[in-house]
Amino acid sequence: MTTSEAVAGGEPLRIKARRQINDRAIQQLFIMPTLVLLILWNVFPLFYSLFLSFTQYSHSGKAPPVWIGTGNFDALLNDPKIWAAFAVTGRYALLSVLSQTLIGFGLALLLRAKFKANGLLTTLILIPMMLSPVIVGMFWRLIFNPLMGIFNYMIGFWNPTTAPIWLKDHALISVVIVDVWMWSPFVMLLCLSGLKAIPDYIYEAAEIDRASPWRQFWRITLPHVAPLLLLAVLFRTIEAFKAFDLVMGLTGGGPGNVTETVSVALYRMVFQGQARTGMASALAYVVLIVIIAVSNVYIWYLNKMKEA
Amino acid sequence: MASTRVEHAFSRVGPGFAVVESVRVDQITPRARLGITARLILSIIIAFVMLIPVLWMAMTAFKARPDATASPPKVIFVPSLDGFIGLFTNRTQLSAAALAEQQQRTDLNFWERQTLARGMRILGPSKFVSQLSNSLIIAISSTILAVTLGLLSAYAFSRYDIPGKRDWLFFILSTRMLPAVVVTIPIFLMYRAVGLYDTHVGMILLYTVFNLSFSVWLLKGFIDEIPIEYEEAALVDGYSRLQAFRKIVLPQCVTGIAATAVFCLIFAWNEYAFALMLTSEKARTAPPAIPANLGIGGIEWHVIAAGSMLFLIPVVIVTFALRQYLLRGVTFGAIRQ
Amino acid sequence: MAEIELRQVAKKFGDLWAVKPMDLTIYDGEFVALLGPSGCGKTTTLRMISGLEAVTEGRIFINGKDVTWLSASQRDIAFVFQFFALYPQMTVRQNIAFPLESQGMKRAEINQRVAEVVKLLEIGHLLQRKPPALSGGDKQRVALARSLVRKPACFLMDEPLGALDAEFREVMRAEIKRLHLAQHATTVYVTHDQVEAMAMGDRIVVMSAAEVQQIGTPAQVYHDPANLFVANFIGSPGMNLVPGKYVGDEVHLRGGSVYPTPPAWRPTLAARWQRDDVIVGFRPEAAQVSETGAIRGMVYASDLHGSYTMLHVSLNGELRPNGNGEDTIVHIRARRDVHYVIGSLVRFDLNPEMVRFFDPESEKAIAKEVRG
Repeated sequence: MTTSEAVAGGEPLRIKARRQINDRAIQQLFIMPTLVLLILWNVFPLFYSLFLSFTQYSHSGKAPPVWIGTGNFDALLNDPKIWAAFAVTGRYALLSVLSQTLIGFGLALLLRAKFKANGLLTTLILIPMMLSPVIVGMFWRLIFNPLMGIFNYMIGFWNPTTAPIWLKDHALISVVIVDVWMWSPFVMLLCLSGLKAIPDYIYEAAEIDRASPWRQFWRITLPHVAPLLLLAVLFRTIEAFKAFDLVMGLTGGGPGNVTETVSVALYRMVFQGQARTGMASALAYVVLIVIIAVSNVYIWYLNKMKEA
Repeated sequence: MASTRVEHAFSRVGPGFAVVESVRVDQITPRARLGITARLILSIIIAFVMLIPVLWMAMTAFKARPDATASPPKVIFVPSLDGFIGLFTNRTQLSAAALAEQQQRTDLNFWERQTLARGMRILGPSKFVSQLSNSLIIAISSTILAVTLGLLSAYAFSRYDIPGKRDWLFFILSTRMLPAVVVTIPIFLMYRAVGLYDTHVGMILLYTVFNLSFSVWLLKGFIDEIPIEYEEAALVDGYSRLQAFRKIVLPQCVTGIAATAVFCLIFAWNEYAFALMLTSEKARTAPPAIPANLGIGGIEWHVIAAGSMLFLIPVVIVTFALRQYLLRGVTFGAIRQ
Repeated sequence: MAEIELRQVAKKFGDLWAVKPMDLTIYDGEFVALLGPSGCGKTTTLRMISGLEAVTEGRIFINGKDVTWLSASQRDIAFVFQFFALYPQMTVRQNIAFPLESQGMKRAEINQRVAEVVKLLEIGHLLQRKPPALSGGDKQRVALARSLVRKPACFLMDEPLGALDAEFREVMRAEIKRLHLAQHATTVYVTHDQVEAMAMGDRIVVMSAAEVQQIGTPAQVYHDPANLFVANFIGSPGMNLVPGKYVGDEVHLRGGSVYPTPPAWRPTLAARWQRDDVIVGFRPEAAQVSETGAIRGMVYASDLHGSYTMLHVSLNGELRPNGNGEDTIVHIRARRDVHYVIGSLVRFDLNPEMVRFFDPESEKAIAKEVRG
């Protein structure tokens, strides 16, 4: 900004100098609290856990951390349970992001039509996205319940004895279903804004040019929405890799470790059983690297869109 | 064949009514109009299906225990306040003699009589009352802090040419992407060491930090939209920077501040992972507490539903209030619609 | 090629008339400009011809075929949009080929047709670029190429130059005219710019307030405006319109001058004009400044236009408009080499061939009776 120069341009030098000093003080006063908080609560802990990740340590015991070099990382890489957790997370992310993208985009195409109630319907459909994931997950336990739940009845299994027992036999799919229910509206929201940004005259030109609806979709609608769709996919991928609340509410990672995502595995490692804090810090760093990689792409892309 | 014939008739005689709106010819063919109706109906059905879990929760909250756990599930039932009584009170089962004695009393209030009808007596408020109030205190306090600090930073980032501005903003947003579980381990140790574990202050500060990056980004977007000329005019008129900020910028981004605050409130209100790992009794909030009620006396679904409903209602209301800002909120202010 | 006919075509938005029932025939190969101020219904008319807007009443025929309820894609028309409406994700080449691909034309033929229009419009160097990277004039060339490539029966253009800078506008105006002369395709051209309409149109349809005011050649519309609106709207400045009282063979103009009516008009005015009020209309170039002129006034302002001087003359001798909307300031053309002092008296006569009379009540022009 050139505000201060522009304003002070015609004034005597003394005033200009004073105002600039003031400005610098204000800048620092305004920004410092935020940065200090972020550094204390985010940066410092990250360094601390980097240190812990090279130590053997349990916070429930009295012994101080003991430096063991890369021991934790070696152990992690050789632990089939950790690989399993990553596999669960990957499968979960792939399935849910894919379904959300398709369903969310479909919903957006449906709701872009110009009928009177579509503002209200859109908001109603967006409600699940705003709810607390853990409460949602927990309540879906009742909905999936083979005896008392309505899910099986709604999809046509009227006999509880032959109906699937979702949380036992298809636990990961169940988590995916609830995640899709919650977050397809998010994809829809982004796609709708992309669709609304396509000017009418583009479609008028396509009509004049005799493009079939199919061709209009592939050549005009899809390329226009693609940037926002990609944004939604990136964001949902990051979130899926972090999956914790919903899983804890719905399955707690079980049965066994069928739905144990990386976050849940991490939680269990620290706060259940023997509290392997050092090992968990190492795992946290592995997760962190994955997330940072994806989210850097995301933030970079977000910035690009903002400037466009 | 039939549809082609209809189209032919349309191209000869038109839609059969006077078209007094702006519409393309191909959009008022019988087929196009049928398509719109079909989409409307389909949208209504989908919206309804999406809301079934929420509706089911609201229904279960008003069921008596046997109705809540009936198999097959009951759609029609006699409404009952059992769930809410179970949520807010601790009760004890009365012996036959004690029951008879209690039934003689005439000074009982509505809730006590409801409980008595099930052979029980209210002992006192349940833990949920304090957990709900913890949620309120922590969410509101942290929101006030996050919005205040965020507003100051957002203003500075919007109006000043700060060295490395883009990198700072990038850093601020990247903190938001960190998985809660990952940062919790060191914060847990830190809190335990300085005595912030399971305290209101600890949770308020944590949620403040958690929401700060969001509030900086969103508010910067709102402030960027206010033309800088107003402030320049004020500065020329002899206002100081701080006066210009207070009298020019603040009044113009009131709606932005409100929208940001509501988003922060929802995030703090819904937050689970930190609360689960960093609180136990004193400062425990509702999200980790409601599932824990599963354990009390078997599965009390009507109680859980009552708690969940009370917890979700504010969010549903707020979703409607926020609807035009939802997109902006979920994209950190990058997309403005 | 094609002839377009509108029979009692009208459009309503709710209770509001966007276009009142109008008749119009556009002949094969003709270039017709729809001209009027914004909101007059000209664009709506064009969109109804294209099928991008459904009519409320009336029928539309193209080459004798009733197309009223055919969609735009079935009408064999091309439409050039004000904001170009190029597909931003496609290259220029893909944009131009798009309408041909939509019809499922063979690749070889597409290539040949694209090559033809590309040559015609001289845009070969732009083919691999995307529309956002083009200048306004180039965008419009591409839009024209896209509409030409299909060889449609007629062209509908909605203010195609409206979004261009002044410098491009003049170049593109000539280009569109050149294309029309080369192709001789029936063209309907919407504009609010009378210079464009006059320069390009074979005929002009002047519209205002949802109604057709006059249909005629540029010369007719300029010299023989059908009513006060057209008289005032066409030309810059518009026709001078001075109210007056008709007494005998003279008009007592507001401001005090007495204007003897031209002999050719006297039978018409005497025989058919029973009332005593009339509006005298004349173009600035109809005035001839002379010492003995019948009409006198005071110089209110004078603008040098290079080849001539435009005098603003106050007929009632006051040096400021009287503010009640009935100002009697007229514009007249004078020689460039005479200096007129503001406030000085000036006298002028009117070229009798170029004087028109209007009925103040109906606002219509009075037709001159021709006697054998």
